Amino acid sequence: MSIIELNEIYTAYEGGDKPVIRDLSLSVKPGEYVVIGGPNSAGKTTLLESINGLIRITHGSATVCGLDLRRSGNEVRRRVGYVIQNFYFDPFTPFTVEEVVMMGRYGRMGLLKRPSRSDFEAVDKAIRLVGIEELAEKTIGTLSGGQQQKTMIAHNIAKEPEVMMLDEPFSNLDFNAREYLQGIFKNMAGNGTPILMVSHAFDGLPETRIHLVVMNRGRITYDNVCDADEVEPIIRDECAVV
Amino acid sequence: MFGFLIENNVVCHAVEAMVFASIACGILGVIISRMSLSSLGFTMSHAAFAGAAIGMFLGIGSQMAAIFFSAFVAALIGPVSDKAKMAADATLGVLFAMSMAVAIFLVSYMQYMGRGLTATNLLFGNVISLYREDIYALAAVSALTVIFVLAFFKEISALMFNMKIAEASGVRVKLVYYILLFIVAISVSLSLNIVGGLLIFVLLVTPASIASQFCFNVRSMFVAAPMIALSVSALGVWAGFKFTLPIAPLVALLLTFVFAISVILSFKRRINYKKY
Ligand SMILES: Nc1ncnc2c1ncn2[C@@H]1O[C@H](COP(=O)(O)OP(=O)(O)OP(=O)(O)O)[C@@H](O)[C@H]1O
Ligand SMILES: [Mg+2]
Repeated sequence: MSIIELNEIYTAYEGGDKPVIRDLSLSVKPGEYVVIGGPNSAGKTTLLESINGLIRITHGSATVCGLDLRRSGNEVRRRVGYVIQNFYFDPFTPFTVEEVVMMGRYGRMGLLKRPSRSDFEAVDKAIRLVGIEELAEKTIGTLSGGQQQKTMIAHNIAKEPEVMMLDEPFSNLDFNAREYLQGIFKNMAGNGTPILMVSHAFDGLPETRIHLVVMNRGRITYDNVCDADEVEPIIRDECAVV
Repeated sequence: MFGFLIENNVVCHAVEAMVFASIACGILGVIISRMSLSSLGFTMSHAAFAGAAIGMFLGIGSQMAAIFFSAFVAALIGPVSDKAKMAADATLGVLFAMSMAVAIFLVSYMQYMGRGLTATNLLFGNVISLYREDIYALAAVSALTVIFVLAFFKEISALMFNMKIAEASGVRVKLVYYILLFIVAISVSLSLNIVGGLLIFVLLVTPASIASQFCFNVRSMFVAAPMIALSVSALGVWAGFKFTLPIAPLVALLLTFVFAISVILSFKRRINYKKY
């Protein structure tokens, strides 16, 4: 059983002249560590946002976590973690790191519910796991880029997602932090939660088999399992062809 | 409500009205200024103004027409920004211009026909000739605002933090956003003939800005902004009657004055070098 099943999907931005994702099919199984590579503007971010329904797919069918994406987009988003590529928080944002991490659970709590004991426990655990305990009381807008990125990762870990999608989550992180967080994601995959990682840097990938997806101009040009040390050469190769 | 405190019935009504308008606008102001939707207040007040003008023109209740027309404009904001691929702020600008045009067109036309005298109330407000019902309606809408914030506190916080992240986490962003727009529309249209279309913006924006100078978290902002708004406006009403000054502009000036002071005194900008 696949957790993500995309069937010949097309995705277009409103007002865009042509679909950004074209005739794309993809299947992700529990516990897979998926690396999504490809050049800038290949459609990697668009693919992730099609999977959780932030952008509507215009054609084709998609099932995520056993739900029909077209009908239950919101329910899918409650279950799928997504660390976004670009964010900016102004210095006066009146929310602490702890509050922001808690927000990861707001969707799954549902309307009119207050955070319960288990919500606080999950938040606490995520903050400790990512190692940002000393930032918990700080307001997010005054942190460094890397600290904000860690907060957004903790926000999604606290969500306890069934699928974890990360869009260049290491772009602001130092070497130690990358290695450490890669370890966390490997563990998540090991526990059955598939990881979808968009990245241009391939250090610290798990030694287990990797499901590599290479995108170019809105299509998948490579979709197969490979070893960690093959990832970079394959992407180079695939992108040179075009 | 304040009858036991204030002998004069007119003053009493004015204070009550201002207090309720302040509660609703102060709370909503915290949300919309954080969401960079400050121009929402501006657009809504002009939509309400246009609605009231339509109501007068058609000879139906101007209050009701104001509510309907601003609710209609509120309903347009989301779809128009989506379809036109514009930021909500730009959409608000377009709708603001449209409302203003409708209002001025009708008011000028009615003046030309010799029946436009009451329109000045809508622009500058009038706290002196209020009815009981006006005050009940305002009390209801400020209660509605408080209930909205308490019930949807999580969702509102998530929206104030970041719309996209809120949506990605599975929060029902659209639902809460539309409820917010409608509550702003109703609050503004009801406050219109008290503070007036031109000054309601002050009640929405300034108390929230003052609160943000001193508050470090959302909870305290939600308490501080309406408190500031209602104490300053109660003071304004009192001073207005005592010294026979126009009340709404006086309140606006007082709030701006408090804002200036708060910027100067804000401890948020102080750095404690000694501690380090
Ligand atoms: N909001 C938008 N409206 C219209 N077109 C968009 C929008 N966002 C992205 N696109 C277009 O979609 C295409 C794919 O963009 P996408 O962000 O998915 O690329 P990417 O693979 O994530 O690139 P990068 O490595 O630079 O992050 C690009 O050509 C881009 O111009
Ligand atoms: Mg991208």
